[in-house]
Amino acid sequence: MRTALVVTGLVLATLLTGCTGEPDPATPVGPAEPGVLRVLAGSELTDMQPVLDEAAKATGIEVKFTFTGTLEGAEALANGEVDGKYDAVWFSSNRYPAGIPDAAKRLGNQVKVMSSPVVLGLSTSSAKRLGWAGERVGWGEIAEQAGRKAFSYGMTDPSASNSGFSALVGVASALAGAGNAVDAGQIVAVTPQLKSFFGAQSLSAGSSGWLSEAYQRRATGQDPGAQVDGLINYESVLLSMNAAGNLPEPLTVVYPSDGVVTADYPLTLLADAGDDARDAHQRLTDHLRTADVQRKIMETTHRRPVVPGVEPAAAFAVRDLVELPFPAARDSFDALLSAYFNEIRRPSRTLYVLDTSGSMAGDRIASLRSALVSLTGADDSLTGRFRRFRSREEVTMLPFNTAPAAPRTFALPEGDPQAGLAEIKAFAEGLREGGGTAIYDSLSRAYEVMGPLVAADPDRFTSIVLMTDGENANGSGLAEFQASYRSVPEQVRQVPVFTVLFGEGSSAELGIVAAMTGGKVFDARNGELGEVFQEIRGYQ
Amino acid sequence: MKRRLSIGLAVVLLAAVVAVVVWGRPDDAEGGEAGDLTVVRGVIGSEKLAFFSDRRVIDAFAAQGLQVEVDTAGSRQLATSVDLGRYEFAFPSSSPAAQKIQRDRKTTAAHTPFQSPMAVATFEPIVQLLQAAGVVVKGPGDYLVLDVAEYLELTEAGTRWDQLPGNTAYPARKNVLITTTNPAESNSAAMYLSIVSFVANGNTVVGTPEQEAAVLPDVARLFRDQGYTQNSTEGPFEDYLAAGMGKTPLALIYESQYLDRVLRADGSIRPDMRLLYLAPTVYSKHTLIPLSDKGDQVGRLLSTDPELGRLAATFGFRTNDPRLFAEVVGDKAPADLVDAVEPPSFETLERLLDAVGT
Repeated sequence: MRTALVVTGLVLATLLTGCTGEPDPATPVGPAEPGVLRVLAGSELTDMQPVLDEAAKATGIEVKFTFTGTLEGAEALANGEVDGKYDAVWFSSNRYPAGIPDAAKRLGNQVKVMSSPVVLGLSTSSAKRLGWAGERVGWGEIAEQAGRKAFSYGMTDPSASNSGFSALVGVASALAGAGNAVDAGQIVAVTPQLKSFFGAQSLSAGSSGWLSEAYQRRATGQDPGAQVDGLINYESVLLSMNAAGNLPEPLTVVYPSDGVVTADYPLTLLADAGDDARDAHQRLTDHLRTADVQRKIMETTHRRPVVPGVEPAAAFAVRDLVELPFPAARDSFDALLSAYFNEIRRPSRTLYVLDTSGSMAGDRIASLRSALVSLTGADDSLTGRFRRFRSREEVTMLPFNTAPAAPRTFALPEGDPQAGLAEIKAFAEGLREGGGTAIYDSLSRAYEVMGPLVAADPDRFTSIVLMTDGENANGSGLAEFQASYRSVPEQVRQVPVFTVLFGEGSSAELGIVAAMTGGKVFDARNGELGEVFQEIRGYQ
Repeated sequence: MKRRLSIGLAVVLLAAVVAVVVWGRPDDAEGGEAGDLTVVRGVIGSEKLAFFSDRRVIDAFAAQGLQVEVDTAGSRQLATSVDLGRYEFAFPSSSPAAQKIQRDRKTTAAHTPFQSPMAVATFEPIVQLLQAAGVVVKGPGDYLVLDVAEYLELTEAGTRWDQLPGNTAYPARKNVLITTTNPAESNSAAMYLSIVSFVANGNTVVGTPEQEAAVLPDVARLFRDQGYTQNSTEGPFEDYLAAGMGKTPLALIYESQYLDRVLRADGSIRPDMRLLYLAPTVYSKHTLIPLSDKGDQVGRLLSTDPELGRLAATFGFRTNDPRLFAEVVGDKAPADLVDAVEPPSFETLERLLDAVGT
């Protein structure tokens, strides 16, 4: 009886104090408490909150989430950042950390909760046009049509998000056709086909949530960006978008006949978790795997049940899917990611509009310099290696203060980016602060600079990053920019602006700029500018 | 308003947690509810957790004055890294791990109350395909077996499902491979390695470093080509049951896992599902090493108490007394498996597991 009272009291305390996740996996969510499971998780699990709220009532176990990306999570496991700070991890799959010995050894009891395959969703008319509605096609045919630009699609950055990573592995395995887990040698062999396939990717995102929103905004014409025919994502995301009913036409789900990679969401106790956490994990997973809760998960999140005997919903049009073998070794992952960024995907064109006004003096200008330098190869961490400027990328720097300075464009040739990276590094280290803040004159200048670059080579992922630490003080204002933006040539107007709030940057105005250009706001006011610059790489 | 709501919720929670304490497993009660039962703590392979958590098993031990509390660990970990000083018995799922513990603890005492042969869960269309390919044959007993020598030959060539002649039932572009667990972490993968290394070694238990080196290329491929593997045997078996043939056409399991589902008759074994025995197979011998007198009492009860034996059989385990298993399982499984071999020594198995895991 006494145990019961203590447990309940603690649960009540956590309910009253509430819970919010910090984005940094190193930031503790609090000390270990009975009845509380501190979980480092993939952000797509936010949709499980209603189920977990009910689970808390039924079991007395409260889940405290901290969200992070797939690679970041694996890295936090491998370098011990999770030790003592979390009781469990919950990602869409444990395949990535399992390939890193230092991360794998920290994984304890794993209990699968639900599953969702990574598949292709196409707008109904695109699926009909391609003859794929209600048909089974293989990745080979999908890659062939993609190579002909018969359709376009969006996908998340495979170094930031598991859906992109799974898609990359799935396509490579299927195209390799060897029937075993793909290895580095096979990846080299299928690189030409992978180039065809990813040539049709017209939208990249660091998170699955933003990708779906961007697809929808483009489909409805809210964003200036060109419409996209489809998305590669979890079946659950595609079905959820259809269920929400905000798309002009629903997505037709294409289940590749030669196989898929499926996320199975193992709620995984950490190996060093204490007895209370062990008990909480056991009770929570027992509850989540009861037939009723499995059905509730299916209804709420459109993920498939994993417990035998729970009948899958009719919406899962193809039930029996071939699962492609997934490489177990990290060198295979690394080879695939490296090939994707440096050889396979369409190259990026990235323009940085950088505030170097007087208010940037001191730590701020130092942060800006180091944030840029880390993108030139200084950051050798698991994630950093895949966030740096890539082979074939074209990078333009446009610093500004009272007026925009002269832009400088750097080319990073395929296979030999070192000289270009060194130039960017030297440029970043030479940034000096001083003068006023002409945000909109500089942004207008950025669009002017883009004009001839886009015209000369239109087939790139093109984007602008606008970083400022203050309010606009010189030259034209937001209203004038909005007016002039309308006369920007269409091809250039489609370039999104990813705005970075820093120091006293105006969140309202930068939000408007991001929204009108189809970009996104990133907040570096309370965090590391370097981390935000890395995060933005997922969208470039 | 918010506060009042939370207090209301707390009342609901209080009721829920009390219910857990009163009706839940006795180990939730931290000794408070144990009454005059003697608590015995053991560490077991996770395959037996459902058995020890079962209400009827708890009652059967209580009738003998015992309350058995268990932690789970992999059989490899049990034999190497788990601090056994905290426990009164260790109950790994294989004889090599048990022998290692016996040596380390300088004891000869052991109880082997039940065992289960390794088997393959599959589907009727797959059985037909593999029969046509000569890999599944009628064995010496009156049941179908997967001929491991034939299987090794097929996999050595890297044969894909869609390359099997006349295959319209499962034309997947992936290799014909039994889905196993991670050899670094799971006992079932170690048992599988025992079988395939025996066959690759010319039907002899691997016993020398030269033999280890000779069989390694053949057996390592069976794991490496699968790519990522899960760390518990429940994983592939659940995929088999819930996701079906596309994901897991052949799942390496303990016979007990399949029989448990068959005996439960909960509909999870569908009409097209089949259990194939391996020829040869090995038995996963669940061996209890007593570390104290009370631990020994648990081992003796499991081996001799008919009620506990019957309960073990309902979980699909083959009991010491074959009549108990036969009574419970009936014709749902062959009474005797004729083609069973012994696993290698713990040290040989360890070295092989390390080598295939890298």
